[in-house]
Amino acid sequence: MFRSTRTKRLVRLTAVLAAASAAALGLAGCSGSGAGSAGSATSGNITWWGWTPQPNNAKTYIADFNKKYPNIHVTYKQVTIDGWNAALRPALASSNGPDVFNISPGQYMTAFAGSAIDLKPAVEKALGSDWKSKLAPTNVTGLSTSSGKLAAVSAGSTSAGSLWINADLFKKYDLQPPKTLADWKNVCSVFKSHGVGCFVQGVGQVAFDQDTLQSIADSVQPGMWTKATQGKVKWTDPVFVKTLDIWKSMFKDGIFEDGALGVQQYPDASNDFMSQKYAMVMMGTWYMQYATQDGMSAAISAAGVGTPVKFPILPISFPDVAGKGNPATLFGDSDYGLAVNAKSKQQAAATTFAVWLGTSKAGQQAIADGLNDIPSLKGVNANWDAIKLVDPTTQKSALTTLTQQATASSEPRLSTVSANLQTAIGVAATTVAAGKATPAQAVQTLQTASTSAGSN
Amino acid sequence: MLVVGLLYYCIGYTGYISTLTWNGTDIEKLHVGLANYVAALQDPVFWKALFHTVVYFVTTFVIQTALGVFFALLLHSRVRLGALYKIILFVPVVLAPAVMAPVFRQVFAADGQFNFVLDHIGLSSLAQPWLAQSSTALPVIMSITIWEWTGLTFILYYAAMGQIEPEMLEAARLDGAGNGRVLWSIIWPSLRGTTTALLMLSAISALKTFDIPYLVTVGGPNYSTEFLGTLIYRQSIPQSNVGYGAALSILLLILALGLAIVLQLVGRERKN
Repeated sequence: MFRSTRTKRLVRLTAVLAAASAAALGLAGCSGSGAGSAGSATSGNITWWGWTPQPNNAKTYIADFNKKYPNIHVTYKQVTIDGWNAALRPALASSNGPDVFNISPGQYMTAFAGSAIDLKPAVEKALGSDWKSKLAPTNVTGLSTSSGKLAAVSAGSTSAGSLWINADLFKKYDLQPPKTLADWKNVCSVFKSHGVGCFVQGVGQVAFDQDTLQSIADSVQPGMWTKATQGKVKWTDPVFVKTLDIWKSMFKDGIFEDGALGVQQYPDASNDFMSQKYAMVMMGTWYMQYATQDGMSAAISAAGVGTPVKFPILPISFPDVAGKGNPATLFGDSDYGLAVNAKSKQQAAATTFAVWLGTSKAGQQAIADGLNDIPSLKGVNANWDAIKLVDPTTQKSALTTLTQQATASSEPRLSTVSANLQTAIGVAATTVAAGKATPAQAVQTLQTASTSAGSN
Repeated sequence: MLVVGLLYYCIGYTGYISTLTWNGTDIEKLHVGLANYVAALQDPVFWKALFHTVVYFVTTFVIQTALGVFFALLLHSRVRLGALYKIILFVPVVLAPAVMAPVFRQVFAADGQFNFVLDHIGLSSLAQPWLAQSSTALPVIMSITIWEWTGLTFILYYAAMGQIEPEMLEAARLDGAGNGRVLWSIIWPSLRGTTTALLMLSAISALKTFDIPYLVTVGGPNYSTEFLGTLIYRQSIPQSNVGYGAALSILLLILALGLAIVLQLVGRERKN
């Protein structure tokens, strides 16, 4: 009898504790969903997780931030892009996740926007009611949900659609950057005749195949790729058959190296270019950071070169591979935005940091000078005189032009592509390259994937 | 008890998630019943992954067993520097796949060391981009696995052979049995227990395969090195189809349980 009463008491106590815990958790959850009001806005210790920028750039941003907010201590943790999903998902599910985390448009928005607070009121407070007009549009649209919530403040944007060349190698073999498919083929045959690899791309990494295919499609008919990703035209349109046909010919004609399907863009292709095994690589504006002396030294060392020798890298436009005279285009989105964790106990300080980096002139100047991203705030440009390029004479004008073109571009890169569609694009690209499917068959499978994803 | 309870809770929770369309973080979860299972059974990539698992299991098990027995026999005979060979054979077992994966990516690249060797021994016609072709990527993955685990197979067979009574072998020799006969009639039957254990280990390992295919080829090209493990990861993490990934996990669990039951039954029949 005594035992039974004791057991009952224990059960009751457990139930009360469980109910109290659930209530506490519920309250914590509720408090976490506020608009960045938890904690102090001017002091605290916050953590920031991102796959980019590189730690040296992040250190600079934080140091500049601390000039204005000395009492907010920011700890940056870089997580590899491959491990981002695996690391962030459980972190956000727990109550110990980062206070600030990166989000990029597209699949990461789909996956993680729900865990972020709405930063629109904070940005509005910082820039005024006309805040949208002060920021580059692609930096806002890609990080806003369909309900209008601003899930992250963009640090800056990146664009793809450019190629990068090793200017020294082109000079050594007296070659000009290719402007057409025939030029490209010729350049590659000359490089190969000298035992130098021509063009390297990690075809095994889908996002970069997508960039090349979008560039080819824009050469065939500008804008059609974007329309297809938005479900406004069908993937079975002849434009995409032609696109995959050209893609296939680039393998057949030796522009892509044998074995490109087994190469990853990072680290393989980037390392091969940085160790001067190849003269050209498919990369976007984010590669500007390696045009600097420090950036290049770090990249060459990371590529495993024993005695690093710096060389000037130059961006060039994607050749007119369709031969139709369409101008080469850049396409881009916000590279990453800073989101504030809805469960953070220091939302106010985290919001201060996110908004400072994304909207203040000082924050955006730091972004511009880092050359990893193009600033989101209009009117802020890189301070070229203070940036130490490997060869300013040849690089400065090319980089300035690239930045201007990227700022003017309006075509999205990733924000209109779902994870499932991106997988389907990867399958289409690699099956055609491997000769397992014809371009006509591949566009059919793309259309099927698009239809099942509800696009059209 | 707590650990066991937690384990069953996790299985139950995975079962619950498998009935959802959910990205893993959103508050909103859509119940879809058994739709994820139906989708999995209609997914050609799932069947491809299953097929790869079977091919991988049969091939790696047969070759590892043959090599393990061969090396164990070799090192039970009087070989100079036998201890060194044992170390060389066993070292791959203790090397982390994550450390070795970039090495294998480089070795089997189109301009990698394997092709370099082929070029320099007069077999340049065989050189090819091994990891970039559907036809060669899976054999490369299997060869890496064999390289990695033969050391363990060898050690187990080596130990098992040490348990065979020398008198029995001597008696066979006196009766006029040659090497082949001794191997087939005395040594091999004595190793049955070890072989059964290795069969179970290989089967479980094949079902769980993830690290080498993911780290070396990311399941590609064109799903040619996709296994159930890599497919579950691809769907659950990069593609955020957590519900679908959970359904695949439950199917994997059912397969593993089915396989365990079959192996148990086979073992019992043999005992009887």
